[in-house]
Amino acid sequence: MTSTAQELHPAPTLEPGRTILELKGLEKRYPGTHALKPVNLAFKASEIHAIVGENGAGKSTLIKLLTGVMPRTSGDVIWEGKPAALATPHEAMALGINAVHQEVVLCRHLTVAANMFLGEEDSRFGILQQRAMVREAQKIIDDLGFDLPAHVVLGDLTIGQQQLIAAARATVRGTKFLIFDEPTAYLTRKEADQLFTLIRRLKGEGVTIIYISHRMEEVFELADRVSVLRDGTLVGTRNIAETNDAELVKMMINRSIEQVYHKEHFTPGATLLEARNLSGKGFENVSMTVRAGEIVGLYGLIGAGRSEFVTTLYGRHRKSAGQILWEGKAVQVNSEHDAIRLGMALAPESRRDQGLCLNLPVGLNLNLPIYKRISSNLLISSAQEKTEADRQIANLRIKTPTRNALASSLSGGNQQKIVIGKWLAHGAKLFIFDEPTVGVDVGTKAEIYRLFSALLSNGAGIILISSYLPEVYELADTLHVFRRGKLVATHGFHTADHEEILTQALAEKQEKPGGQI
Amino acid sequence: MSTEAIPAERPKRNYNALFGLTLLALLVLLWVILSVATPSFASANNISNLLRQGSMIAILAVGQTFVIITGGIDLSVGAVVGFATVIVAMLINAGVPIFLAILITLLVGVAIGTFHGFGIVRMGLPPFIITLATLTSLRGIGLLMTNGNSISINNDAFQLFSRSSFLGIPNLFWMVILVGIPAYIFLHHSRWGRYLFSVGSNAEASRLSGVNVQRTIYMAYTLSGLCAAFVGVLLASRIGIGNPTQAEGWELQAIASSVIGGTSLFGAVGSVHGPLLGAFILATINNGANLLNVNAFWQRIITGVLIIVIVYFDGLRRRGK
Repeated sequence: MTSTAQELHPAPTLEPGRTILELKGLEKRYPGTHALKPVNLAFKASEIHAIVGENGAGKSTLIKLLTGVMPRTSGDVIWEGKPAALATPHEAMALGINAVHQEVVLCRHLTVAANMFLGEEDSRFGILQQRAMVREAQKIIDDLGFDLPAHVVLGDLTIGQQQLIAAARATVRGTKFLIFDEPTAYLTRKEADQLFTLIRRLKGEGVTIIYISHRMEEVFELADRVSVLRDGTLVGTRNIAETNDAELVKMMINRSIEQVYHKEHFTPGATLLEARNLSGKGFENVSMTVRAGEIVGLYGLIGAGRSEFVTTLYGRHRKSAGQILWEGKAVQVNSEHDAIRLGMALAPESRRDQGLCLNLPVGLNLNLPIYKRISSNLLISSAQEKTEADRQIANLRIKTPTRNALASSLSGGNQQKIVIGKWLAHGAKLFIFDEPTVGVDVGTKAEIYRLFSALLSNGAGIILISSYLPEVYELADTLHVFRRGKLVATHGFHTADHEEILTQALAEKQEKPGGQI
Repeated sequence: MSTEAIPAERPKRNYNALFGLTLLALLVLLWVILSVATPSFASANNISNLLRQGSMIAILAVGQTFVIITGGIDLSVGAVVGFATVIVAMLINAGVPIFLAILITLLVGVAIGTFHGFGIVRMGLPPFIITLATLTSLRGIGLLMTNGNSISINNDAFQLFSRSSFLGIPNLFWMVILVGIPAYIFLHHSRWGRYLFSVGSNAEASRLSGVNVQRTIYMAYTLSGLCAAFVGVLLASRIGIGNPTQAEGWELQAIASSVIGGTSLFGAVGSVHGPLLGAFILATINNGANLLNVNAFWQRIITGVLIIVIVYFDGLRRRGK
């Protein structure tokens, strides 16, 4: 039972500077991808160690391995000099390894105090000591300098405040090693400052902090050392005093670009779609055009408003201002149905949540948009249903035993081919691909890129959303950079370098000349 | 270096048919055992009786299955049956031609189903809640309309229908075939059937693929209401009265039949033949238990145990163990 204020200050068993956790050849393979190539890294007691890298560089895999959410493929983790299995989250927590996630994983319907002590409730003879817990929680929160009430329901707080509670919660659990996964993504500056105060204080108390962030300025403000991951490889570790953002950005992106980016240039044709000063939930005042035969790339961090923008184009969400023109004519797109009728197709960001009916056959998934065409009146032509499905399976080389296999039984890359393939028979003019290669192996990536070229040569236009810079950089004829719901920069094919684009997507300070907020 | 590891997936192609055959085997097994155990089971009289008993639940289960495939549930069907007996009885006694009376009753069922769709799609109510609300209020409305009395139907032709047979098979069972064949074609060979599955599997993915999700939900509940009203007509014909408290608990029997027939309450898994077999398995157990003089209370327990056992083994097989 840990409802004493003393436990807020975990007693570190090691003096500062000694190694608390060491990774020896830590490695993780998923079917089809090598998410983390053998990593050797030692974390020192009571240091703030930042980890930076692009999306898909292996940061989340590393966290999952350290917190016991996933088993590693090979390698060793040495905790305080002894090998640790880290097979379950429980084991990690028992050692004192904790994580605060970007998305708050607490019970929104319980009070702040109940959340703080969830799983370690103070009870006497089986009766919860509710008032005592609220008092205790309030003491901890006040002690940390957060101006938050302990008795309110967690869901009534802002996301940022919930994040602070999540951080406070982690500190009461005898934590010696605390991972923050992009904690400031939803925080205001003031909340972020409170969080930084907490982090420095924990460091002072001997806790080792792993700080994962996209924001360079935070890394330099907070961290003692920084490690860079790229494509599942640890590129290097630097003392923060001996490096600068230019070097870090270079380490993050200076990869060997394999010959996967298949790019053909076509002469752009007529304008298919134009967005004029379009605003909606998550983005504002975005204008752009898409022509036949070109790929328009949208680059930015997750949450920059790109997905919201395209789903609004597609009629999934309502626009709040602005205009959409299709082939030169102003149109109202009030539903997905309208968009599809105009000739748009969307391969959404999340295969699992938006793209596939996982527990249904591959064939049904592929044919879903075209059932109207392959049925006469009411009845489906089962011959056509077979032909169409088998044709897509063959064309896209979807690896499945038969079209009747369930979509869930396929690997990520093959599932993605279904998400894309279902639109090929439909015959759209504008294809919107939202993160089409996430969790997809290199071979499939190359196939998807070749498919883009085939679509373009048939006169289609493509909007390509990617958080993976080389992908949009090598493929997009026009590249728009999004940051916090705004279109902040536009480049032609290879007219800017990676550093410039990445800086535009990441940092606040570079934009002073432009004057944007 | 990253190799695409495709798990060697056993083909699941004929899973539905296989499960159907297993259920059919279970049904036949029950019949064989009961034929041996009791002299009266295999008599023509008893078999007709059994088919009549099972028929109405079977039709309800088909409508229920459409709804469950979309990931919903229709708790109102028993109440709709009772309510429909009242409507059809009142119309016939008021001198409305039988054909027209039946048609109007069916339209009332459609209207109730449409209301459920409205509650779910427009008001955002969970299917459980909106159909629970109609379950209780329809019984109330029926009681108000009849003052709590039964209405005797003064029409022999109407009642004769459910007692007669055609080609030696009770008319009520022909009605199962009348509903079952179009339902089968609808579910497995029309795009609307595909949409029911896709909405139950992933409504968002269906929407983004251009499926009209709202219309699909309306359709499922309307069909369930229609089936229930049709069963109400059959029941009124069989018992010769209109009474709003009839068919108490039939919604649970319909859901049980559907689930025994392999329908997943999580949606996207189901068939037409499964629930039909499920309904007749339940009817056989009840019938057999009566013949064997098993306490009626035990019949309920046996039904409960059967649901657990069948669904458990079905789940095991689905997980591929």
